[in-house]
Amino acid sequence: MQELKEQLKEIIVRDLKLQGIEPAGIEDDAPLFEEGLGLDSLDAVELVVLVQKHFDVQIEDMDEGQAAFKSINTLTEFIEARRK
Amino acid sequence: MGKVKRTLLRLLEALGHNIFYLFLLLFGQGGAYLLLKPVIVTYLLFSRKIHRNAACYLKRRFPDHGPVRLWLDTYRLVHSFGQVLVDRGWLGLRRKAQLRGDLIGGDRLLELVAEGKGLVLLTAHVGNWQTALAHIRGLAVPINSLMHYEEEAVAKHYFDLRDGTAPFKIIKSDGFMGGMIESTAALGRGEVVTIMGDRYAGGPWAEVEFLGATARLPSAAYSLAAATGAPVAILLAAKTGRRSYTIKVWDDFYPATGERHDRQRDLGRWADRFAKSLEGYVRQNPYQWYNFFDLWSQ
Repeated sequence: MQELKEQLKEIIVRDLKLQGIEPAGIEDDAPLFEEGLGLDSLDAVELVVLVQKHFDVQIEDMDEGQAAFKSINTLTEFIEARRK
Repeated sequence: MGKVKRTLLRLLEALGHNIFYLFLLLFGQGGAYLLLKPVIVTYLLFSRKIHRNAACYLKRRFPDHGPVRLWLDTYRLVHSFGQVLVDRGWLGLRRKAQLRGDLIGGDRLLELVAEGKGLVLLTAHVGNWQTALAHIRGLAVPINSLMHYEEEAVAKHYFDLRDGTAPFKIIKSDGFMGGMIESTAALGRGEVVTIMGDRYAGGPWAEVEFLGATARLPSAAYSLAAATGAPVAILLAAKTGRRSYTIKVWDDFYPATGERHDRQRDLGRWADRFAKSLEGYVRQNPYQWYNFFDLWSQ
């Protein structure tokens, strides 16, 4: 689980081209959007594509997305549950 | 506005709709078109708001028109919009009623869909867009339409009247992330997602030069296409006669974005392509862009 969290942080920083943020500096339970990491709706689209591309897990609708995109913790749990 | 006044206005509106439906049943499309003229003249004589709202666009489209010509322009714009509403009611009420539609660039749409990357179909509040959406049923992949509540209600009303089945699945844009997640999933399955490119109602936006001034247009469609690798095609419908219209593919492209800090500029470039197509459309069909919002002051 911890390994997946680190992988996710790497992907988010690298593929969303976040500047001035180190993967290790992202808190596991910090909000990903708005006041947390500062991601926006454009990033949400890219994040859906990245999760599909790297983990072969599809986020189908806003209910799933809203629950999964709360933080690194929730996104990790979502991916873990879908991969099984 | 008081509760009594609001209720009264709703009742009057319902009465107006029912009178038009009655005319359509008794006298057909032509009869309802005739009724439209005095109704619109009366409306324009008593409503200042419609002149104010229509002027945002018309003053830019016809910068050399004085007050009298602008009044006539407003009449033509509202009359054309009224005809589209009558057509919609006529198609709904008369099962055998049909408009003849010509699709220009249909082969290109088929090519883009065949690539299997999904397709973002950008359209606008022009012509009879519900009819246009019905016309693209033949694309062989499911069609989704990203809509906000008001458009959704109108579309549902139209297709409920028509035959009970909409030719597309509605994705609500007022949910979490404005429907972007569902749209991404649909494109991932190779499906079509239609989006209105001409009305900014929240979310990401871009500033473009449009009809001689800077206007704000939504930019989520380009971001969606760039992230998923889907192409964008611009499809605009125009009424060409009492019972005919054309739907034309104005442009198609593959949006891409570079560095994060350049994203706004990149999205603006693609929004600009849409603005150019829409500008070409309103040059050809000045009274068929039903825009009553001031995009230039948003």
